[in-house]
Amino acid sequence: MSVRKIIAEKVLWETLKRWKKSSAEMDRIEFLKTVPFFNELSNWQLKKVSEIVFERVYEPDELIFEQGQPGAALFLIVDGQVSVEMFKNHNATSLAVLEGGAFFGEMALLDESARSASARSVGTTKTLALYRNDLNRLILSDSNTACHIYRALARIVGDRLRSTNALVQSDLKAEKIPA
Amino acid sequence: MTTSDFEKTEAERKLRRRVFHTGFFLLAVVALAFSFWKLKALILPVVVGALLAYLFRPFKDRFRIKWLPHELGVLLIFAGVGLMMFLAFYKGKQMIPDEKQKLELKVRLKYKANEKFNEFVGAKGQEKSGLVAQMVTHEFGPMMDQLNLLLSLSPEEKELFLKYRKGHDGQAAIEDKFYDYFVANQAIANAEAARKPAAADKPEGPTVANAEPVREHGKSEKNGLIEILSVWILAPLIFIFLSFDNGQMRRYFIGLVPNRYFELSLTVLDMLDDAIGKYLRGTLIECALVALSLEVGLLLLGLPLSVALLIGTIAGLANAIPFLGPLIGLVIALAYSLIAESITPVIPGLNPNDLAIYVVVLVAIVHFMDNLIFQPVVLGSAVNLHPLVVIVAIIAGSLTMGVWGMLLAIPTVVVLKTGVETLFKELKSYRII
Repeated sequence: MSVRKIIAEKVLWETLKRWKKSSAEMDRIEFLKTVPFFNELSNWQLKKVSEIVFERVYEPDELIFEQGQPGAALFLIVDGQVSVEMFKNHNATSLAVLEGGAFFGEMALLDESARSASARSVGTTKTLALYRNDLNRLILSDSNTACHIYRALARIVGDRLRSTNALVQSDLKAEKIPA
Repeated sequence: MTTSDFEKTEAERKLRRRVFHTGFFLLAVVALAFSFWKLKALILPVVVGALLAYLFRPFKDRFRIKWLPHELGVLLIFAGVGLMMFLAFYKGKQMIPDEKQKLELKVRLKYKANEKFNEFVGAKGQEKSGLVAQMVTHEFGPMMDQLNLLLSLSPEEKELFLKYRKGHDGQAAIEDKFYDYFVANQAIANAEAARKPAAADKPEGPTVANAEPVREHGKSEKNGLIEILSVWILAPLIFIFLSFDNGQMRRYFIGLVPNRYFELSLTVLDMLDDAIGKYLRGTLIECALVALSLEVGLLLLGLPLSVALLIGTIAGLANAIPFLGPLIGLVIALAYSLIAESITPVIPGLNPNDLAIYVVVLVAIVHFMDNLIFQPVVLGSAVNLHPLVVIVAIIAGSLTMGVWGMLLAIPTVVVLKTGVETLFKELKSYRII
């Protein structure tokens, strides 16, 4: 980052902090800093992201999205808990319960393929949603920020692929050498 | 509080919420309908301002300067566009004929229209030849009479013409050729009066008695213009404030949508935006290409630059009205070709006397280019409408809002069609219906 950019960011950020000390926007930016998806972004870039995310509050036991529906957005949990469930033969199996700072539905940022699981709020849950096409538009207006987000997404998807491979390999080994 | 008490309270709350939502929705619908009815004069400027802001949005996003505040960038672009429009209007205003030029134009138009008509039916002291000529005289004769009546000078105008002939109001005297046209027109009027004795008593053109209401009409026209301008000031304001919007309005409306429809509403809005944007911007580019092709063609036929630009621009704008648009362009270009004088075509071998035929051929070529090249390339996969729907929409638009209605009919149908189609498709894919 050039000196000019660093100074500009510093000045702008300090001004923003002074003006919007306790605003919802500042809170959103502070929260986004804690999410692994955005940890490479500067304050100014986080401000850009905070301008395109949607805040949604879910009641206890409210469905956030349903398995099989087309995915459109990534969700970040600001406050509360979300249960990720999978339906098979009309029975729901809870795969995980996610807490504040976690994210889910990230594959929707890549395409509109169907959701592989459902997400349901456990208690009153506040989330931030990042819509796929807003991220696509960010490529045009601020390619650097969009590039950082896509790189984080690729890293997360890569990690998951590696752990799935490891799981499949361990299963195969277990089948070959019965206990 | 026991569980059943809690459930009871929650059920009551749900019922209250439903009643409140329904009541509020009905109230909003009634208020909206009443506002539309009372403020219908404002609808058109608001729609035009919003439409321009919508068309302008990709341009604004594409040329955004990072270090420049968004609002300032919009204002700068608006000032630039405003300046260009002001210059265009200033130039256009200069092209509007003054009193003397209006008289010359009227005399010239009447003379040339009669000359072309007589040439066509072979009636310049010759025997009318052929069945076609007789049919043309029979069918178009009454139309020519109407045209002659429309273009005839009132006694005041005649007097004024004769004053200008000698030089009046510090202006140069009217050229001899226009005076010859004037004399020839008088001969036509006299011949007409002799042919129709009943009409001979009536003076040519509007009488003095009905000239007064014309002046009164002029006054009310001025008031009407002020009224129109005061309403139309809304269009640039709407344009500026919608251009200032950086997605806040969309976020606000999405915020009102229940959680269940959150992703669905985002997707539907985006698909609508994509389809409508493609159609409107495509149509705009298509109209610009038609205008440009006509302008180049007219210049090659030898028309003056200002006239070619004016006819091309009007015909290009009219092209936004399917079926009727090309016809409007043809009528305007043909009307000018009938009165055009001292034309020297740039293309060698063309006879200036056959300008009307060349104009018809040019409009036909541009129309074919539009159908075969511009529309498929520019509009491509944008919304397709059945021709019957297009015709009904244009008629309905013209009946409700005149020319503006005709221009806005197809975009309205496109918005409705795309909206309904997208909504149903997405409601199904989100398994809501």
